[in-house]
Amino acid sequence: MFSKMQWGLMAGVLALSLGAGVALAAMSADDAIKARKACMKIGHGGVMGVAVPIMKGEKPFDAAALKVAFAAEDAACKDYASLWGVDTQKGDKETTHAKAEIWSDPKGFEAAGGDWYKADQAVRAATDEASFKVAFPALGKSCQSCHEKFRAPLQ
Amino acid sequence: MKRILQALGALALLGLGVVWVITTPVALTSAVLPDHVADLENGKLLFNAGGCISCHAPGPDVKDVAADVPAGGKPLKTPIGILYPPNLTPDPQSGLGNWKLQAFLAAMQQGLHPDGNHLIPAFPYGSYRSMTFGDVADVFAYLNSFPAVKNQVPAHEVIGLPIVRRGLTFWKWLALSQPVWKPDAAQSDSWNRGAYLVNGPGHCQECHTPRTLFMTLDTSRAFMGGPHPEGKGKVPSLHGLVERARYKDAADLVSAFQNGEVLGYEHMSGGGMGEVQGNLSKLPEADVKAIAEYVLSLK
Ligand code: HEC
Ligand code: HEC
Ligand code: HEC
Repeated sequence: MFSKMQWGLMAGVLALSLGAGVALAAMSADDAIKARKACMKIGHGGVMGVAVPIMKGEKPFDAAALKVAFAAEDAACKDYASLWGVDTQKGDKETTHAKAEIWSDPKGFEAAGGDWYKADQAVRAATDEASFKVAFPALGKSCQSCHEKFRAPLQ
Repeated sequence: MKRILQALGALALLGLGVVWVITTPVALTSAVLPDHVADLENGKLLFNAGGCISCHAPGPDVKDVAADVPAGGKPLKTPIGILYPPNLTPDPQSGLGNWKLQAFLAAMQQGLHPDGNHLIPAFPYGSYRSMTFGDVADVFAYLNSFPAVKNQVPAHEVIGLPIVRRGLTFWKWLALSQPVWKPDAAQSDSWNRGAYLVNGPGHCQECHTPRTLFMTLDTSRAFMGGPHPEGKGKVPSLHGLVERARYKDAADLVSAFQNGEVLGYEHMSGGGMGEVQGNLSKLPEADVKAIAEYVLSLK
């Protein structure tokens, strides 16, 4: 799991990369798009895959399974900050659903990322089913709020 | 030669004159409206089903007004330019305070403004005209129950707006001659309720049905999805949602409408659907179930 400082650093780097419009890592647009889609689908999606059945009451609260999913999310999203350079608005071969608003409203995008981070931390801190069920809706909402503004329909 | 040109000029003028006359909107005659006792609870339901707040939300510079008050001004980007949906609160100058129910009906069912202009169909009156008189009257009563907010919204940023409004005559001839939604006696009450909410107030077809060359709904391809009407991205088809394994069953789709991405339903966020889902989540469960029943009957 990442420490608070590491996440904080990442948020700072994200702000820099967006604000200055520089791609930090020497990564092609296709690689960046591929990597951020993997973060979304495997990382975030993996957390949802474990969390949603617990929310729906189909499965019991499972701290161990959640821990594994969050670790996988950390791994899949580790270069997050460097995946949104202005030169990644379009891929070469890779399709992207990222909307231009990410780059025309960098503050809004950052805030949406911040909301997700806070909600994600709160869910990680949950120790039992009751506290988990209180914390989780804000996390799901944070995915939706960012997608409403910054992601085109998936089709 | 000169005579021919003059004749052509005269013909052209005559043509323009005819166009001007036939594009002059015809206001509603003051027909006597049926008696109606307003039901605010029902008005609120239809306000939510109709998603009025998604477009008429307060703009960024409206201060101290709750986000669920339809004070207007939130910019709506469309291919013809930026529109500023007007203030629907009962303020007499900047809102609907001076509107009579008759005028409101004409807006909702015929796309007419009291000043005689055609309204731009980004305001989905093509669908709202399938709403019953009672439901429209209840929405009006509900709007009048909001506090009056003084907020004159900015003028639309559309090049040649007066001409665009005139040109709408032709679009309206085509679009408003399509039949309004009618109940199907062969189906259950709940199916009909769902069909009404989807095709009337819910205006789901405005996004989920592709358009013809003339920008009217291509009803032969109803709910088949296509390019997004606001210009970017695609809207998915609503046919065969269970057959294509997008949802397990009706209960799963109901859960998707009620919770959206909060319970991991991935296809309910982008392109305006997030707001639609938020509005649907405010409806009584029986209505959400009816909508799901109808949608899943689209094979
Ligand atoms: C700060 C904004 C933001 C947040 C927060 C966010 N996403 Fe995303 N998401 C995006 C963007 C932008 C894309 C499109 C990326 C692309 O196609 O390049 C995306 C794409 C996706 C995709 C599609 C990936 C693919 O394979 O094309 C999934 C699934 C997804 N997100 C799930 C989630 C989940 C689950 C969460 C919450 C736990 C979440 N996202 C949080 C912005 C965000
Ligand atoms: C998709 C966006 C959208 C939705 C949803 C929507 N409207 Fe509108 N509405 C508009 C726009 C844009 C205009 C301005 C049209 C014009 O200027 O020609 C408008 C205009 C109006 C007007 C005319 C007001 C005036 O001052 O000119 C009324 C009345 C109205 N809407 C009521 C409603 C009600 C009631 C609902 C919900 C049942 C609703 N609208 C839902 C976009 C929308
Ligand atoms: C403003 C345009 C718009 C309106 C109005 C609208 N939708 Fe959608 N809808 C979309 C878009 C865009 C998506 C895809 C969202 C995404 O992938 O993030 C979608 C997705 C969906 C899905 C998910 C489809 C799937 O394959 O999983 C369903 C179900 C749906 N809409 C039903 C409805 C119903 C019912 C209504 C009317 C009450 C409605 N929609 C009104 C634009 C709209």
